[in-house]
Amino acid sequence: MSGDGTAGGPATGDPSTGDPALVVTRDLEAVFASGDGVGPLDLVIAPGEQVLVLGPSGSGKSTALHLLHGAIPHTIDAQVTGAVRVAGRDVHRTPVAALADVVGVVAQDPETGVCLPDVDDEVAFALENLGAPTTTIDDAVPRALDLAGARHLGGRRTDELSGGELQRVALAAAVAAGPALLLLDEPTAMLDAAGVASVREAVARVARGGAASVLVEHRLDEYAGDAGTAGLPARWVVLDRDGRVRADGPSAQVLAEAGRDLLADGCWLPVDAELDVLFGSADLDSPQVRAGIAEHAGRVRERAEERSRRAAVGPVGAGALAGVGEGEVLQACGLDVAPLGAPRPTRRRPGRAVLRGVDLTLHPGEVVAVVGENGGGKTSLLATLAGVRPPLAGTVLGPRPGLVFQNPEHQLTRLTVRAEIGAGLPPGPARDAAVDDALDRLGLTDLAERNPFRLSGGQKRRLSLAAVLVHDRPHLLADEPTFGLDRHGTIAAARALAAQAQAGRGVLFTSHDLRTVAAYATRVVVVGDGRLLADVDPHTLVRDDALLTAARLRVPRLVRHLARSAPGAATLRTELQGLDDAVLGLSQTAGVLP
Amino acid sequence: MTDTQPTGTQPTGTLLERRNPTVKVALLCAVSLTTLFLFDLSVLAWLWGLGVVGALATTRLGARRLVLAHAPFVAFGVGLVAVNAVTRPGPALVTVLGMDVTRAGLAVGAALALRALLIGVVTVAFLASTPPRELMVSLTRHARLSPRYAYALLAAHRMLTAMPRRWATIRAAQAVRGSGPALPEAGRAVVTLLVGAIRGAERTALALESRGLGSGPRSVWHVVPLTWADGVFAVVVTGVAGAVLAFA
Repeated sequence: MSGDGTAGGPATGDPSTGDPALVVTRDLEAVFASGDGVGPLDLVIAPGEQVLVLGPSGSGKSTALHLLHGAIPHTIDAQVTGAVRVAGRDVHRTPVAALADVVGVVAQDPETGVCLPDVDDEVAFALENLGAPTTTIDDAVPRALDLAGARHLGGRRTDELSGGELQRVALAAAVAAGPALLLLDEPTAMLDAAGVASVREAVARVARGGAASVLVEHRLDEYAGDAGTAGLPARWVVLDRDGRVRADGPSAQVLAEAGRDLLADGCWLPVDAELDVLFGSADLDSPQVRAGIAEHAGRVRERAEERSRRAAVGPVGAGALAGVGEGEVLQACGLDVAPLGAPRPTRRRPGRAVLRGVDLTLHPGEVVAVVGENGGGKTSLLATLAGVRPPLAGTVLGPRPGLVFQNPEHQLTRLTVRAEIGAGLPPGPARDAAVDDALDRLGLTDLAERNPFRLSGGQKRRLSLAAVLVHDRPHLLADEPTFGLDRHGTIAAARALAAQAQAGRGVLFTSHDLRTVAAYATRVVVVGDGRLLADVDPHTLVRDDALLTAARLRVPRLVRHLARSAPGAATLRTELQGLDDAVLGLSQTAGVLP
Repeated sequence: MTDTQPTGTQPTGTLLERRNPTVKVALLCAVSLTTLFLFDLSVLAWLWGLGVVGALATTRLGARRLVLAHAPFVAFGVGLVAVNAVTRPGPALVTVLGMDVTRAGLAVGAALALRALLIGVVTVAFLASTPPRELMVSLTRHARLSPRYAYALLAAHRMLTAMPRRWATIRAAQAVRGSGPALPEAGRAVVTLLVGAIRGAERTALALESRGLGSGPRSVWHVVPLTWADGVFAVVVTGVAGAVLAFA
């Protein structure tokens, strides 16, 4: 980043020994008290090199990053062996703060990664800590904001920014001091599609400035964007479930070596890589890919036909809900939705609606997706439909639905998984039976006595779903149910919702992932500009460019391509579900959920 | 950057906004400590009245917000008067619900209540005129507060502002599942909120460290100035307060 004139020149390699490598690790290994760990890692990273670290959930990707800048063992406790040097400094003997001139870090959660009330102060902070003269800071702050695509955010307060904006500020703060090494720990994990794209472009700009980077990311298809594998760092390091290096090299070589395992382990891959693993060709138009998709889609269609035959023959379809009457709909009329967390409206302050005039009907048995920008009022709409927030105007008619929140931790209030699921149910044998059933259905039986806060992200999400399903409400609302999950977790969560619809419930979920929406929703409600923009089927949505622009939605390349040739929503749905089947077929342990 | 820089002592701010935060903290402490030795109602009333006039003249509070900000202190003051009026010994003025209200009790209660109002109005004026960032920068520079504490406090302030929304979400999640009795559920929600806050604090602490906080001598980008005007301000405030003490 020397060419950018930021505070420090990039440290390249080891000035004391003349070793040209920027990062050198030897037999580096960390083991936590729980027994989990990562390593041994033997990595050599050259100045300016771009590295992607990937692996299944729980393989220790973030731990590996923490080892590189000394957060482990200096801040986070773990048993560490081996050696790591960055720009010639022994990381184990250097406090985290003393590496700030050569290492910039961007963490997963933008809310906690940005520390100060004002954007400019946040970016200047690292330079102040390094004792840079104020004239240097004057130049470096706008330059760093430029580099991160955040120039327009200068002068703003950090508490009024969206997640995507905050993450760009965090990136600007990380590059302000001109570090030679940038560590990025799933920088897009909390962002919507527009946020992902803005962060990817910012990281690419920073990389062109000459800094080496190590990126941990599992939503590779979204991160790569339309460029596919070519849009990702050139060197890939794959960790296996035990935290050992499974493959290390150029992306093409790693994909050939470990692509199948990655997909089988539930990793997201760019769509070209996924198709290559599944069908032996990365080209969406190739005969192999077309035939492969058609074959899997055919099986999905057969299964659906079989299901509807059985439902028609039986007196009541197997698994159909008892007590859910025909046509018992959830209906919103002329709803004005207040933002969740806003103060209660008073006569003096009538309250500002985040969505106005919403008319919406949810029928039993259908899966409806709500899409739109972050901050557009999707979560508040769900809270209002669930009766948690009174609407500013209009009415909600119908039986009270269940609601699964986006962040499962907001829902956890008990000390064991079993108690969490049973919360709010009257005690007795009926409760015990219902809880056991829910534990079993969501694959949580082995975790029943564990503390909910100690579960993994995917496990927490299954728990939050189980805790709502046990109440047996006729309608189910879910806020971003696939957010932050790996490929298997996403398929499992979407299929769990679809199964609820097949059992007779009305399902309404918000999502930013249009691939999941097109694969499982029968209808899409589009919100934007403070109102309901459209109520269409997914196939119509992904082909309507004007609507997509108005709602600021980005359609993944795969969905766009399939929608062009598919005659309607049903075909698109079966093709995408067929691809999910093909991915699940690679692994026998996949698909924990029904 | 001057066009986009929101903080730093604003030359265009109100009189109190332009004053050095450390000087303001010192005066706030001095006023509060002095009232501990005051029981004279007229002195306290004068000081409170001057505090109100000063707050209206030197901040952007305005009468309506200042009256609203008084509400908790007035409630506290009413409690002080009521308790002291019936618990102090002396000849009874009147008897209310079988309790003797004494002149001495009323006087002490009113003095304590005025003390609460005075400290309240000065504190409100201080908070309304002092951005957190300026306070911390000034305290590190002019009161030798360690930057490690100052910036940790600033980060904590940022986290606090996000808490009401998190609380609303947690309570909403409980409400949806039809939870048990209100009090235990609220207690559980507090635990959930705190667990989230502690985890967030750990991540923020690491972020502060990885940006080099505590690595050595640091510079300050936008210095909060300490000028002769702050000295004049301190002299005027202590002079006026001293005059009231001497003559009222």
